[in-house]
Amino acid sequence: MNHEQWLEQADVYALGALDGEEQRLFEAHLATGCAICAARLRDTREALTIMPKALPEAPPPPALRARVLERIAAERPPAAAPVVLRPERDRRRVLGWAGWAGLAAAAALLIVVNAQLRTTRQELRALQDRLASLQTELAQREEALRFLSDPNVRYVSLGGLKPTLEASAWLLWNPTTRQGLLLARGLPSAPAGHAYELWALAGAQPVPAGVFTVDAGGRGLLRLPPLPAGHTYDAFAVTLEPVPGVPKPTGPMHLHGKVL
Amino acid sequence: MDGVALDVSTRLLREIARGDRDAFTRFYDLHAALVHTFALRILRERGEAEEVVQDVFVQVWRQAETYSTDRGSPEAWLIMMTRSRGIDKLRSRRRRDEMVRPAENPDRLPELVVLESASGPAEARATLGGALADLPVAQRSVLELAYFDGLTQSEIAARLGEPLGTVKTRMRSGLERLRGLLAARSGAERA
Repeated sequence: MNHEQWLEQADVYALGALDGEEQRLFEAHLATGCAICAARLRDTREALTIMPKALPEAPPPPALRARVLERIAAERPPAAAPVVLRPERDRRRVLGWAGWAGLAAAAALLIVVNAQLRTTRQELRALQDRLASLQTELAQREEALRFLSDPNVRYVSLGGLKPTLEASAWLLWNPTTRQGLLLARGLPSAPAGHAYELWALAGAQPVPAGVFTVDAGGRGLLRLPPLPAGHTYDAFAVTLEPVPGVPKPTGPMHLHGKVL
Repeated sequence: MDGVALDVSTRLLREIARGDRDAFTRFYDLHAALVHTFALRILRERGEAEEVVQDVFVQVWRQAETYSTDRGSPEAWLIMMTRSRGIDKLRSRRRRDEMVRPAENPDRLPELVVLESASGPAEARATLGGALADLPVAQRSVLELAYFDGLTQSEIAARLGEPLGTVKTRMRSGLERLRGLLAARSGAERA
């Protein structure tokens, strides 16, 4: 499912109208911490408040107000909810040795349970993070696969130049949609305030094609933004530039390759 | 974020979280009509609607500290709780009704009576109602069947005898209009 589809599901979810299985899937997606869907859900829920607000008002009977306030009067203050372990003053006198021992045991148990709960929560969060990163990875692979299966896609190999002869990259390039996917290897990590910038070369004219950084293993992945039409791009190059990228190359060229 | 920028309801919720019963009473007086109106529209039965109002406000008292502005406005929070409790009741009533077909409950309001006995004096309400009435009937009815009557998109498709795709498209366009309406309203408030 691509993200546009998740956003549509978010709308139907806000309306409460997803069918069982779809609802479960969307909740699982949301649980990965997808901020875009969470924001959309919040906006849609806000917009939906218009529906009940537009209804002709039916004021509740005064007797109901009295009942609700009575129920609240019987409730503990919410902030005082976790005081279970604090024995009340007059009960303290009645508590014998056994009572205190029991209380101490309960407190100890509570501490253990609490610690376990915290560990479980941390594990859950770690699992959610792992799931999110796996989903990202999967999405990237699906994208690469989609690219590869398009008959228009060309394979461009970029070789390392003087500063980093051992570096290399390949680019899946679709000249029809002017989109591409670059995977670079063997590049040193960029110095602070710098990043690698990809250029599409139309003859002698360089067109900026995106900025990327590399991980500790020297690998960098870049999805090219759709490049402007009206040029024939016949080569690609990578230079080292100040962040957030520049309109014309200024730094040393690390990689270069021709579209064959 | 703290301070003057917070609206009244958000401030009241913070006071409720600290156990302030007066703040709770003010919060109830501000919002009880909306919660009751909404619950009555979902359930169309006074007794059950009043139970929902009670439950929702008890939940407000117990969970005020879990409310956070990151998750939306206090009204959106209240409305979400009301809908979820209302629809739960509605669904369990439907399950009961399916098992034994009971004699008509004289307390239950006929369909749409709430909508037609328009008596809301507030100008804002009239404007909103008017703006909603501008929604094409087809879009409005799928939104209402989902939001008020608790039907899922495939149940709506079956009820209307329309393809699921059509129902989805109408929901999308309807929600798009609602979002536009909300944006226009908050724009007008700022102006």
